[in-house]
Amino acid sequence: MKPTVDKLKEIAAETLVGKKAELILGWQKGSFWWQSFPAFIEKQEELDSLTWDPFCVANLSIYLLEELKRKKKVALFVKGCDALAINRLLQDKCIEREQVLLYGLPCKGMADRAKIEAAVGEELSIREVRRDGDEFIVLTDNGEQHLDASNYLLDKCLSCRYPNPIVYDQLLAQEIDTFPVKERFQSVVKLENSTFEERYLYWSGHFNRCLRCFACRNVCPACNCRECIFDQNEPRWLGKANILSENQFCHLIRAYHVAGRCIDCGECQRVCPMDIPLQELNRKLIKDLNELYGDYDAGTDPEEPQPLGTFKLDDPASFSES
Amino acid sequence: MKKLKKEKLTELWSLLAERTSLYLPVDEGGSVNFLPWEKGMEVDLDALNSTIPPKSIFFQQTEVYLQYTTEEDGLKFEEITPQGPAVLFGVRPCDLKGIQLLDNVFLQEPEDSLYKQRRLETTIVALTCTKPDSSCFCTLFDIDPGAAPGADLLATDLGEEFVFTAQSEKGESLLEAIATLLEDAEADSKAVEEVRRQAKAAVPTHGLDVEGLKEKLDSMFDDPIWGTFYRRCLGCGTCTYLCPTCHCFDIQDHTRGEEGLRFRCWDSCMFGEFTLMASGHNPRPTQKERVRNRFLHKLNYYPKNFESYACVGCGRCVRKCPVNLDMIEVIKALGGVTSGSC
Ligand code: SF4
Ligand code: SF4
Ligand code: SF4
Ligand code: SF4
Repeated sequence: MKPTVDKLKEIAAETLVGKKAELILGWQKGSFWWQSFPAFIEKQEELDSLTWDPFCVANLSIYLLEELKRKKKVALFVKGCDALAINRLLQDKCIEREQVLLYGLPCKGMADRAKIEAAVGEELSIREVRRDGDEFIVLTDNGEQHLDASNYLLDKCLSCRYPNPIVYDQLLAQEIDTFPVKERFQSVVKLENSTFEERYLYWSGHFNRCLRCFACRNVCPACNCRECIFDQNEPRWLGKANILSENQFCHLIRAYHVAGRCIDCGECQRVCPMDIPLQELNRKLIKDLNELYGDYDAGTDPEEPQPLGTFKLDDPASFSES
Repeated sequence: MKKLKKEKLTELWSLLAERTSLYLPVDEGGSVNFLPWEKGMEVDLDALNSTIPPKSIFFQQTEVYLQYTTEEDGLKFEEITPQGPAVLFGVRPCDLKGIQLLDNVFLQEPEDSLYKQRRLETTIVALTCTKPDSSCFCTLFDIDPGAAPGADLLATDLGEEFVFTAQSEKGESLLEAIATLLEDAEADSKAVEEVRRQAKAAVPTHGLDVEGLKEKLDSMFDDPIWGTFYRRCLGCGTCTYLCPTCHCFDIQDHTRGEEGLRFRCWDSCMFGEFTLMASGHNPRPTQKERVRNRFLHKLNYYPKNFESYACVGCGRCVRKCPVNLDMIEVIKALGGVTSGSC
């Protein structure tokens, strides 16, 4: 059984009435069929705005850092990828487990607006897109269309390995069977097999376009520093000029800061307004870490030592390799 | 009126590029932006709005304007001035209005000489829209997607050809310079009218109405509504950097050893550092004040100064804000609504 909006509203109502949490993080509909954005629910009368549809992609856990400054306990809905983010925050000691009440939502993947528009072709008249089993049902002014959902998912969902939340207090629907996914290192391997010059051209082309809007950093559950090095202005480590060298510095530093901690949620790449394939950079580091230190899946177990956060006396590689 | 067959476009680009810098909407792999044209580039005149608005041609994201070196007898300065004339081809009507709103700011006293020089030396060819996006709402701000008053040349897409109408001396001399490629188009004026009329009719209204919104906001500075919007905001620079009317900048030095560069660069009111003062005080300490500023600036402060809302309904923030804290959502929530929905 899939979780329904009514189920979400019911559980949210119970949470408020039973004073189990002071705030509930969920999603609500925007003006367009493809907009479902984070909702902050504190009162009964706000409950009705809650939604659960194929556009609830935003990861609500990133709001905990700010909200827990004022609230003792926050309840939130977590999809598979969002649950990994919760573990990220727990492992980084940014939040305590008792501070959050987690309602798990098994997730079959979120929809890609552009893919649906391209298929339906009448973008001005789509009214609603909802999921029914393995289909997306598109309601338009000219009737209903049924699409095979697997062809219209967000790219990041195509390689989702944890559709079922791995940390929760209550699961709102039965776990779903994991589905076949795209091998996540494919494009990394392709890059690894190109020449140095080709790789340099590839990345400099992308980072030349970077706006330095920091959406990638701000949406990232692993970017949870109280003060980011890029925001420090005395000294100013990252110059404000939008030039290739500064942009590359910015992204290499970020990639290394999340190395071993990146949960591969793909949010950074999804929100980038300039379509920069940031996840390939993160995945290169994940792949390298797996090869160097053995398989490690960040976000799956907050107690497991991190490959880059662990010290071993019998470390086979010393600090100086000479 | 003159027209140009689309198969002659590459010839047109070559001809123009011989004479001046030529900026065209180019597909950079998924995102279309105005770039200096070079042979072989994939020009996309069907894409509606470039991801980065063409304001970036006049008000560059990073612009070096002074070079300095320390010498024995003191500091030596060298001014760096913008380079020569340019043609900017394919500006949509909303984005042209965006540039005109920037003119109000940069060309008032004291004039911004860097901006002014670029503006005077550039010929703008505007391109009317044929197929507005579902997130467009230019007509809310009285912008006609089929017209671009103030552009030097107006281009209308008739499918197989572009029809040009000169609207200034710069526009006329551009038409003369490319005359060998053009044919007469007086007979097409009806078709042009029709395309323009259809464009206007196709812009969705979203049930919005901004009549009186500016005045209403006069008393809404302390309204609790600002305490709700901002909570989902990520504090990124997407909305402001991509907005054709945002124009805030910072000035910074890049010093290495004995030499350095002074440049100006875009800044964003969504960033915490934006109003951080040397004393450590920040008058906009949280995202609440920052988000309030973004919307009050566009819907109240700017209109008070220049008699026009500082939004042109391009829909970029609607399409790109990762959490949909966009102009349509906010106008609706502030009560600028007549009826219905999108
Ligand atoms: S989101 Fe994209 S454009 Fe913005 S800073 Fe990150 S990589 Fe650059
Ligand atoms: S995929 Fe991107 S947003 Fe997600 S944890 Fe890794 S770096 Fe952060
Ligand atoms: S409103 Fe949206 S685009 Fe603007 S700073 Fe906030 S999250 Fe970023
Ligand atoms: S506020 Fe949004 S819709 Fe209005 S001009 Fe700016 S980016 Fe475009």
